Amino acid sequence: MNPKELNSNDPVAWCPGCGNFGIREAVKRALVELELEPWQTCFVSGIGQAAKAPHYIRCNLFNGLHGRALPVATGVKLANPELVVIAEGGDGDGYAEGGNHFLHALRRNIDVTYLVHDNQVYGLTKGQASPTSDSGMKTRTTPSGSRVPAFHPLALAVALDGGYVARGLSNRVAHLAALIAGAVRHPGFALVEILQPCVSFNRVNTGQWYRERVYELADEYDPTNRELAFDLAREWGERIPIGLFYRSSRPAYPLPVPAAPPSGDTFRFLLETLR
Amino acid sequence: MAKVLMKGNEAIAESGIRAGGLCYFCYPITPQSEVAEYLSRRMPEVGGAFLQGESEVAVSNMLYGAAGAGVRCWTTSSSPGISLMMEALSYIAAAELPCVIVNIVRAGPGLGGILPSQGDYRQAVKGGGHGDYRCLVYAPSSVQEAVDLMPLAFDRADRYRNPVLIIGDGMIGQMMEPVEFREQEFPSLPEKNWATDGCKGRKPNVVNSLYLNPVEEEQLNRKLGEKYARMERDEVMFEEFNTGKPYRALFVAYGTTARICKTAIKKLAEEGIDVALLRPITLFPFPSERLNELAEPAEFLLSVEMSMGQMLEDIRLATCCRKPVHFYGRQGGLVPSPEEVADEVKRLLGSAKGDR
Ligand SMILES: Cc1ncc(C[n+]2csc(CCOP(=O)(O)OP(=O)(O)O)c2C)c(N)n1
Repeated sequence: MNPKELNSNDPVAWCPGCGNFGIREAVKRALVELELEPWQTCFVSGIGQAAKAPHYIRCNLFNGLHGRALPVATGVKLANPELVVIAEGGDGDGYAEGGNHFLHALRRNIDVTYLVHDNQVYGLTKGQASPTSDSGMKTRTTPSGSRVPAFHPLALAVALDGGYVARGLSNRVAHLAALIAGAVRHPGFALVEILQPCVSFNRVNTGQWYRERVYELADEYDPTNRELAFDLAREWGERIPIGLFYRSSRPAYPLPVPAAPPSGDTFRFLLETLR
Repeated sequence: MAKVLMKGNEAIAESGIRAGGLCYFCYPITPQSEVAEYLSRRMPEVGGAFLQGESEVAVSNMLYGAAGAGVRCWTTSSSPGISLMMEALSYIAAAELPCVIVNIVRAGPGLGGILPSQGDYRQAVKGGGHGDYRCLVYAPSSVQEAVDLMPLAFDRADRYRNPVLIIGDGMIGQMMEPVEFREQEFPSLPEKNWATDGCKGRKPNVVNSLYLNPVEEEQLNRKLGEKYARMERDEVMFEEFNTGKPYRALFVAYGTTARICKTAIKKLAEEGIDVALLRPITLFPFPSERLNELAEPAEFLLSVEMSMGQMLEDIRLATCCRKPVHFYGRQGGLVPSPEEVADEVKRLLGSAKGDR
């Protein structure tokens, strides 16, 4: 398979230069690397520009409610444990409207991959503050600068002993694709938080802003060291680490094991009793 | 005061402030985010509180809290966001607390679209949340009327200790019209001696909606029922158009569609066809009495809505189906044109009489 086979014909609503394009490319490459055919996966998304992403690749898609991608993904996974389930959405979607679900998905550790496109702003609704807007950031609803500290999803995920906790950058496509592939392989809840410039509504955290700050965790970094992961997850500002921060050995949420299909006799018996 | 040209959403925001709504909570959603954006700038200037919540569930409970604490508080949202507020709304009604909720309705169900709709009529008028409660529901049909209804809504919320809804469609929120902020006089209101605002010098106040004793719960329901009956007696508002002379048909329409019906009425008059309009301004209480009187001389009634026909049910109920009640609507964010509506009247006049 090559990534082009995963293209969809839907007209794309994103602005030219949007970080979403890099993320989409990384997702496609990860699927190719994992040798996952479209019928083997189900994408679940909420509402927002980020949540449109699965429309723009060839895949099964459940485009649900704003903020509710994770509970829907949980339902999909429990109904059909064989499917690879990937939830996808923005920072507003996942950390504000869906914040409670995020907490419990981490705690539950069900085998779902969660890709959060984090542009630190509400894009679809045209530029209001999001939970990850930096303190002091001016947006359409924080005209004199946000008064609350930004939410740090990775720190929360590590604190809750989340299954797989990673951060990528939208235009480091190869690095991001590897993180996504690792997330899908991980047998438990996997968060890939993806830093992404929004060219229309975030004039602060631009591509350049990220480029100047982002650094990759070293090869010898040990993602099982929770204390260190917690410290790095809180590193933000001058330097911003990306990579796999933390991997937990906690068991994943048990999935239903399909009962053996009824033999011919049982089937006939059932039919008789139901008649 | 001179008229100023304002976008509906911003005019609603300004009017809310002038009505004393100094505590405002929001969560962004199209097509009403401009209310929040405007208030994020304006509230600090007037010493009010502005807070963007993490969800509409949070916002509606912030409202519950602020209402219980006795201040004039409000929120604005659009259909999917309003759905998330329905739980709190039921509790607010049960606890008899005043607040104002503006719904700039967009097309549904589900995520739907962002264009104007009137698909939330039932949700607003028949409940939406659980249990036996009602909200006073106002439906402005112009930016000026939306501006004028804000102070009234806050007054009535306080007077009845009840949530008040303002239902505007996306047209009202998005269009620019000249508006004037008129000073309105209201009789003085009783003191909010029930508010959880600190209990110095009096016994503590409790906000609660739990009544495990069925007798007490029944008492609450009856008390609420009496309140809603008082609203039905005293709060009905409507506008009549072209009812002063004989007419063959009667439009019933609210909000944007009422404006369209007025244009259709003028077009029809040019062709010698007289049609009148009853425009409910309050959707609850519904102007049933006047509707019955106005229905009398008409051959039929035509409900024009941007939905599949929701107010239609109330028209039939109010008139006990004594006259044929027809429906014309557009859905999905499409707005009926005056021509379409006029053609429908002509078609109905031409078709067999008395068909239901
Ligand atoms: C219940 C509900 N509330 C609000 C909205 C409006 N809304 C749509 S997407 C969105 C957030 C967009 O921001 P984000 O999730 O960060 O994604 P982005 O568009 O930036 O990619 C909001 C508030 C909605 N659709 N449903």
